[in-house]
Amino acid sequence: MNADSLWLTTKKISLYVLLCLVTFAVCFPLIWALSTSLKPKSEIFATPPTLIPQTTTFENYEALLSGRQQYYQSGEGKQEIGPSPAQFFTRWFVNSVIVTLGSTLISIVVSTLAAYSVTRFRYWGRSAIPYFSLLGYMVPSIIFVFPLFLMMVRLELTDNLLSLVFGYVCITLPFCMWLMWAFMRSIPIEIEEAALIDGASRYQVFADVVLPTALPGIIAASIFSMIVSWNDYLFGRVFINSLDNLTLTVGVMLFFEGTHVDWGLLMAASVLMTVPMAILFMALQRHLVAGFGAGAVKG
Amino acid sequence: MRRLDFLQSDRFVGLLFIAPFVVTAVLFMVYPIVEAIRMAFFSYNPLRPDLIFYVGLANFEYIFSDPLFWSSFAQGTIWTLLSILFQTVFGVGIALLLHRKLFGMAIFRGLLLFPYIVPTVVIALIWRWIFNPEIGVINYSLQSVGLISEPIYWLSTPTMAMASTIMLNVWKYTPFVVICVLARLQAVPLELYDAAKVDGAGAFRRFLDVTLPQLREVLIVVIVFRTVWTFNKFEEIYLLTKGGPGTSTFNLAVYSFEQSMASLRLGVGAATGVVMMVMLMVGSVLYLRVAGFGTEEK
Amino acid sequence: MDVKLQRINKSFGSVSILKDVDLVFPSNKFVTLLGPSGCGKTTLLRMIAGLEEISAGSILFGDREINKLAPRDRNIAMVFQSYALYPQMTVRRNLGYGLRVRKTPESEVASAVERVARILEIDHLLDRKPAQLSGGQRQRVALGRAMVRKPDIFLMDEPLSNLDAKLRVTMRGELRRFHLDLNATTVYVTHDQLEAMTMSDLIAVMHKGVVQQFGTPEDVYKRPANLFVAGFIGSPPMNFLEGDVEGGRFKIGEAALPLPSLDSAKATGSAAVIGVRPQDLSLMTSAGPDALAGRVSLVELLGSEKLVEVQISDRKRISVQVRADSQVGLGENVHVGFDAQSIHVFDKQTEQSLLA
Repeated sequence: MNADSLWLTTKKISLYVLLCLVTFAVCFPLIWALSTSLKPKSEIFATPPTLIPQTTTFENYEALLSGRQQYYQSGEGKQEIGPSPAQFFTRWFVNSVIVTLGSTLISIVVSTLAAYSVTRFRYWGRSAIPYFSLLGYMVPSIIFVFPLFLMMVRLELTDNLLSLVFGYVCITLPFCMWLMWAFMRSIPIEIEEAALIDGASRYQVFADVVLPTALPGIIAASIFSMIVSWNDYLFGRVFINSLDNLTLTVGVMLFFEGTHVDWGLLMAASVLMTVPMAILFMALQRHLVAGFGAGAVKG
Repeated sequence: MRRLDFLQSDRFVGLLFIAPFVVTAVLFMVYPIVEAIRMAFFSYNPLRPDLIFYVGLANFEYIFSDPLFWSSFAQGTIWTLLSILFQTVFGVGIALLLHRKLFGMAIFRGLLLFPYIVPTVVIALIWRWIFNPEIGVINYSLQSVGLISEPIYWLSTPTMAMASTIMLNVWKYTPFVVICVLARLQAVPLELYDAAKVDGAGAFRRFLDVTLPQLREVLIVVIVFRTVWTFNKFEEIYLLTKGGPGTSTFNLAVYSFEQSMASLRLGVGAATGVVMMVMLMVGSVLYLRVAGFGTEEK
Repeated sequence: MDVKLQRINKSFGSVSILKDVDLVFPSNKFVTLLGPSGCGKTTLLRMIAGLEEISAGSILFGDREINKLAPRDRNIAMVFQSYALYPQMTVRRNLGYGLRVRKTPESEVASAVERVARILEIDHLLDRKPAQLSGGQRQRVALGRAMVRKPDIFLMDEPLSNLDAKLRVTMRGELRRFHLDLNATTVYVTHDQLEAMTMSDLIAVMHKGVVQQFGTPEDVYKRPANLFVAGFIGSPPMNFLEGDVEGGRFKIGEAALPLPSLDSAKATGSAAVIGVRPQDLSLMTSAGPDALAGRVSLVELLGSEKLVEVQISDRKRISVQVRADSQVGLGENVHVGFDAQSIHVFDKQTEQSLLA
């Protein structure tokens, strides 16, 4: 190896090292959480703290996923101190799923239809709608929360998961609309004209030709919407107050403020809360280019 | 001009398709905002619906004379500016690192963008665990390496709490900057670098003279966007410190929340919201102006 | 089924795109709308298809006015410039879409698709998606889509412009054959005059929204109605010279060229423009009253012919087509011979043909 290629290799290696360090630093919180969640209680507070657990135990995960009534235990496990969030975890998980899927479904359907309408038909105000959506996207959710809450009170939907569905539609619809609009614009109108000439009605054109072609955008928008709904805390906190109906984010946080903190349990809950998002994110990676490339987050 | 029948029925489909959006938007977007503005002019205790009455500008007088409002505003501004600063610097740096054809880059990219999708609750909890003064791993590591002799109270002193919330914010949102910058970097024509090389520019000069100018537009847009967003963020602060210790990490969003939830003054909370919206509009106008410049120069 | 266009006008807002277009396309003929970009030919085609509104006038298929009919009810088929194949469907589903949408039984759809695929030689591609096909293959699928439906009217919007030159030549013949197989009235839009000349039964030459001439290829070639048509049709393009008509001869400079019989009623004055195709000129050795003197400025070998450019005055050059073995050199002084019968004469002001 001559001097040049030696320099290049050194550069490459140091770049790799740097990259690894940075990545490790960024991922550390999650790695540590995972590690903690797999440790038995005795090891969690042990010094020196170890990254890789010496003993791996799944007791935390088992506690959360079993849905059994659980209590914190003091010291040697003899005295019960108070109820732990473990028994509600599965319930909360289901609630989050329901609310996320429900609001995403509504947002996607509404925004896809609307985006198609705005790009293909002519009527007063149609060009303003996407920009109006973008404006809505920029309004912080704290402003929406309380008026919407009062509306739910009037509709007698307090403490009801449906109210959260509506709330999440409020914050996901604007961006979904913007994304779908950008996507619809990139579909060449000729294939629709060909379908019209072939004999399709407008509805058939939409279902047979437009929807399949817009699928990448729909997927990207769905994933975005699901992430936003799943991760939200504010709406869940304000809209729901009975233990049974809490979403994951609010529930876990609530119990953190309780009398006793079981870090292992909490970390396990954190990991489980993040797993669905991680899966979605990996799916998003592929569609990130298609979705955002359509002009939504253009630099 | 003759009208074609089928085009009229065509138009009907268009209106039919936009109807759900209009209904939903009016119900869940327009109405709340209008209502929020309206509420700002009322005294509103949610537990005493009979005591709701018009108070004119009283709520605004209240907040503008409340020292907590102003300290929230100042703290929020500092929090925003520092967060943005670090997000930008780190974002550009990481993007530059990632903008290479090295093996396994896709994996790195995936991992480094992860924080963006982690629920804020999760990262707040993990943070509290890691940064726990007595049993957290950070303090332990720092002490064992000898960098500090006494545990740092990450969340119990005003300065450290602010620093912690900034760190969390930077951790979570730098990926956004990375994505945008990376996208732009990938669109820079390679010939520009070649030309610079031929002209004799070294790596750092190339960064200054070729890369940075290309990034200028993206960065302006990203910074303005993120500033507006960050200023109004609620969860990132509340879940970590609840605005504390005391009220040292309050920003306007937390202030508004506390007024509404804890003090049961929905009117005041709404008034704060109105102020936040006005600032948002100012920020948007700024963005439009600046973004307009960006596209003009193209 | 013939197509009648009666006093068709089209405007977008205050901009007029088509003015008083009045044409009849006879049944089962291949008609081309020919003209440069922006002349309105595509708009006219789209109006026939039902994709554009008609500002004024009527379009009839046979005896039926179809202005108010949706495209799906007109029994037409169309090939777009970009082919517009449904990207998410296989070739098989692309071909069958039109029939399926009209609720044709599956067995019929399948057999029709197979038949058409065989004829167009795309049966081995039936399970591929459009993205996996070449340009020529995509075009065949687009044609197949039309063929399967057995339309009365078949519309084509510059289908050859996305193909490379060689493929274009082959496809011209194929499209012509396709038209004969299809047994429908074909309306074809192009800006390429060679395509129009080789494929059409009738050509409508259009310019700035107005039909300049409607006739057979021979008509528009041999008897162009005006200056535009004369200059647009034919390759290499016609030579034009300005001068005056005096006493049955064309005065240009000091020469007086012989002219065919003219209809003097059509003339607005003596100023005229003559047009002669390079193929109708000859290089002569000696001067004469029927010739113009000049100097050879360029010689291009076209294969079996040579195109010689002769500078006849300070600013005027004309092209003469000669045989390849003609020994003419750069800078030579030559005389260009004119044959009266092959000269086209146009009024300078109205640009209309003055031939009797």
